[in-house]
Amino acid sequence: MKHRKMGLVLWIAVVLALLAGALLVGSAGRTESVQEAMRDAVLHNINQISLFGMKAVNPGLISAFLVTAALLLAATLIRLLAVPRFQYRPGKLQLVLEEVVGLFDGMARSSSPHRFRFVGAYIFAAGSFIFVGTLFELLGLQAITVHGHPITLPAPLSDVNAAIALGTLSYLVILSGGVAANGIKGVGKTLKEFSLPISMSFRLFGALLSGLLVTELVYYYVNLSFVLPVIVGVLFTLLHALIQTYVLTMLTSLYYGEVSERSEPKKKKVRTAQI
Amino acid sequence: MPLNIDWQQILLHWMNLAILTGGLYFLLYKPVREFMDKREEHYRQLDREAADKLAQAEQVKAEYQAKLDGAEEEVRQMKARSQQSVQKSAEEQLAQAQNQARQIIAHAQAEAEHSRERVLKESQRELRKLAAQATKKLAFHADPFDQFLDLAEEEEEYEE
Repeated sequence: MKHRKMGLVLWIAVVLALLAGALLVGSAGRTESVQEAMRDAVLHNINQISLFGMKAVNPGLISAFLVTAALLLAATLIRLLAVPRFQYRPGKLQLVLEEVVGLFDGMARSSSPHRFRFVGAYIFAAGSFIFVGTLFELLGLQAITVHGHPITLPAPLSDVNAAIALGTLSYLVILSGGVAANGIKGVGKTLKEFSLPISMSFRLFGALLSGLLVTELVYYYVNLSFVLPVIVGVLFTLLHALIQTYVLTMLTSLYYGEVSERSEPKKKKVRTAQI
Repeated sequence: MPLNIDWQQILLHWMNLAILTGGLYFLLYKPVREFMDKREEHYRQLDREAADKLAQAEQVKAEYQAKLDGAEEEVRQMKARSQQSVQKSAEEQLAQAQNQARQIIAHAQAEAEHSRERVLKESQRELRKLAAQATKKLAFHADPFDQFLDLAEEEEEYEE
């Protein structure tokens, strides 16, 4: 009992000492005001990163490449090490993988029962990208801007270009389903939903950006950097990841199923001769 | 462009997403999906085999039940035939016994009749013989009363 109390007192003392140290030492000085930081979080026109020395790009693109590389690396390792050892009675890892694949496959089958192979594979990739990409910002990976300042790599979809790319690609996937199933009629069916790419893109962008702005705001002031980030940074990000993954994949599979449904030929009216 | 929209970066994102989609499909989605399909087919096959075996068992059961029903019917028929046979045999034996009894009775009656006739004939013959003797005696002896007395005396002497 005495040891417990001693440990508790020691732990509180260490926390207080670190807090005092952080407040006394202060930061190295701000390179930008909060307005500039918030504006740059939206527009990414200041803190850009060089892409292999060819072009200055938004940090979101670098994040997207890193997320893709991480996902493909994990997939390769799983393919080489885990998949050959799959058994009819699954282990924990196999159960998780089957659950994830089965989730997207089931979503594709239920939303688009007549044509689900391709859309299942697409929403699996898109869902993985959104989920892992959103959680990616929790890692706080650092990168150096073209101006030499360090920045934390954001979630890929907090970049408007990534959100537009994913929204329009999803729309093209839906369009391809319509063309594959109904030809020209499928194009017409898909074009009826012309607002879909815009709504998808900006839904993703807005959701991810709002999280990013709140996080930026919280981290900008050192006094807010205690306890609060656990709720703002972790819980909100997790919620964002789950919700946005579900929303985009569900919408894509639903619209895909709708436009790829074969339309029945209209029955010709038979005129009966009237005597 | 407003909002710093850059078509080049959008195309780079598309390329990135295309690589990711293809890579994840071939590395993860397809193999896992194939394994799940394979397992589903395996269990479906087991299910089909179990259903086939169950159907076979039901068929065998039905066959045996039919055989059992046939055997029961056969047993019933055999029992009925046996009962009929036993009853017929008993009736025959009874008829035979009755016949024998009738024959015995008839035979006994005939024999009794015959005996009676024989006794009657013998009695008649004896009577005729006695009558003849008596007649003869009457014809050849004078007084029957004396004869009677003589005879009685003879008997008294004999008794003494």
